[in-house]
Amino acid sequence: MITTTTLTKSYDETPVVRDVSLHCEPGTITGFLGANGAGKSTTMKMITGLVRPDRGTATVDGRPFVELPNPTRVVGMLLDASAMHPGRSGRATLTIAARLAGVPTRRVDHLLDLVGIADAADKRVGTYSLGMRQRLGVAQALVGEPPALILDEPANGLDPEGIAWMRTLLRDFADHGGTVLLSSHLLHEVQATADHLVVISGGAVVAAGRLDDLLASSTILVRSPDPCALAAALEVAGIDFVAGPGDALTVDVAGGRVTTEVLARVAREHQVLLTELRQSETNGLEQLFFSLTAAEAAPPQEVAA
Amino acid sequence: MTASLSPRTLGIDAAPSAPGPIPFSRLVWVEWAKATDTRAARWLLALSALSTAGMVLVPVLVPTAFDQTHASYLRAAALALTIPLPVVAILMFTGEWSQRSILTTFTQEPRRIRVLNAKLAVSMVLGGGGAVFGGVVTAAGLVLAAASGRALQTDLTVGAVAGYLLFVLLNVLAAVALGGLLQSSAAAIAASFALPAAVAVLGTASTSVSDWIDMSTTWNRVLENDWVGHVPQISFSIVFWVAIPLAAGVVRTLRRDVG
Repeated sequence: MITTTTLTKSYDETPVVRDVSLHCEPGTITGFLGANGAGKSTTMKMITGLVRPDRGTATVDGRPFVELPNPTRVVGMLLDASAMHPGRSGRATLTIAARLAGVPTRRVDHLLDLVGIADAADKRVGTYSLGMRQRLGVAQALVGEPPALILDEPANGLDPEGIAWMRTLLRDFADHGGTVLLSSHLLHEVQATADHLVVISGGAVVAAGRLDDLLASSTILVRSPDPCALAAALEVAGIDFVAGPGDALTVDVAGGRVTTEVLARVAREHQVLLTELRQSETNGLEQLFFSLTAAEAAPPQEVAA
Repeated sequence: MTASLSPRTLGIDAAPSAPGPIPFSRLVWVEWAKATDTRAARWLLALSALSTAGMVLVPVLVPTAFDQTHASYLRAAALALTIPLPVVAILMFTGEWSQRSILTTFTQEPRRIRVLNAKLAVSMVLGGGGAVFGGVVTAAGLVLAAASGRALQTDLTVGAVAGYLLFVLLNVLAAVALGGLLQSSAAAIAASFALPAAVAVLGTASTSVSDWIDMSTTWNRVLENDWVGHVPQISFSIVFWVAIPLAAGVVRTLRRDVG
């Protein structure tokens, strides 16, 4: 439904997005996870034709976005909830979007009700809180009854009740066969919402796959009385690892290519005694995410729940 | 949150009818709504109407300062229409960049040239509507002047009315061109007042500037229906103030990354 291949964009010689390829299937929620400035928004803007890629392509429903005759009917977008005219009421904002999409304007009342801002519908958007704008933005994304959604940081500014509401709405949408691509800089937010994950850092995809797979087995802990021999054996076998914790080694599963069985065979071939061999207990995704984002200037830890 | 998400709400189970392209008339209608539904736009339109009425009162109240002819009254209305009305047109092209709602507009219709054309069409409707309003106000002013026992020269020709309409539209177009090119409300409004003034000052030093570029010279000839011997100069100034910035603005809008 939403596909990109090697999207690449630089601003003033500085690469912002590098070779980002991703694929979102109907019936799934894909979380696009990365620190602030990792390239999430730029990627989403390239998908929606707002930013022209230097290289690479993006398609929605099999076509480049800019070739969709009436894109709002194919993919709903919430790219920036603050990008609304403050002088217009919520109802007027939605009515304009509905008119342009060619859907009956009576849908506006239904949507205002759905996102829970019916009471404030006739107030100017300038008086809305960020959370209310996010809700209005979601209503605007849904206005054309699209089968897909692209949402940039939809949880920003929402209170806990709002976040729970958003999760339910998106899960419902996906369960009805919808396709969702949503970005977040908060790991736990993505964990609670998405079933597929694309992790981006410094403009490049560093991990992608099913959330369960990424969470389950990103590293294996292996321990031997002779860590040097074990390390040498792993090197010969071309298996990536880091030292620790303690005298154990932590091995990257390399997307499932390396398993406990593979490691046991390597140890046997090199006659290295193993005293421990198991999936790491620590949350591999969390480790990965923090190791990737720690290098960048610590982003403000916004507490979203 | 109580409303439930029916499949229909989500639209997924909706008939997979590929909706056709957005008709141009719908784009124009939506741009018209956006140009006129905010408080700022309504104030400017009201101000435009008021200043037009006020301006037409000048030849009524100060008969010595103006020729007492029909065409002269109409010209007073035309001058009033060159100030607030072009600002409304500028805001139509720049406001969405400043408010960043352009994000929504260009994702709803990614063929940006169609959005620009719709905005251009609306600005011409605004200009035309302003001109008609100015005509009505002028007529009222003439009735008022006649009622006060003044004898006015009836010198309005079809050419004079056409010149008046073209003059109003040209001023709106020049504003639109600046707005489309600069894509910033403050810069475009400032430029729309400062640039013609600066050129007028230059024109005092150089007759070729005043004859060919200074719109207060060339376009006043349009307003005064004084075309004979001035067509090349008038044409050049239209290219200079309208065609070139408009084309550059289109190119810039089509290429610009929306951040």
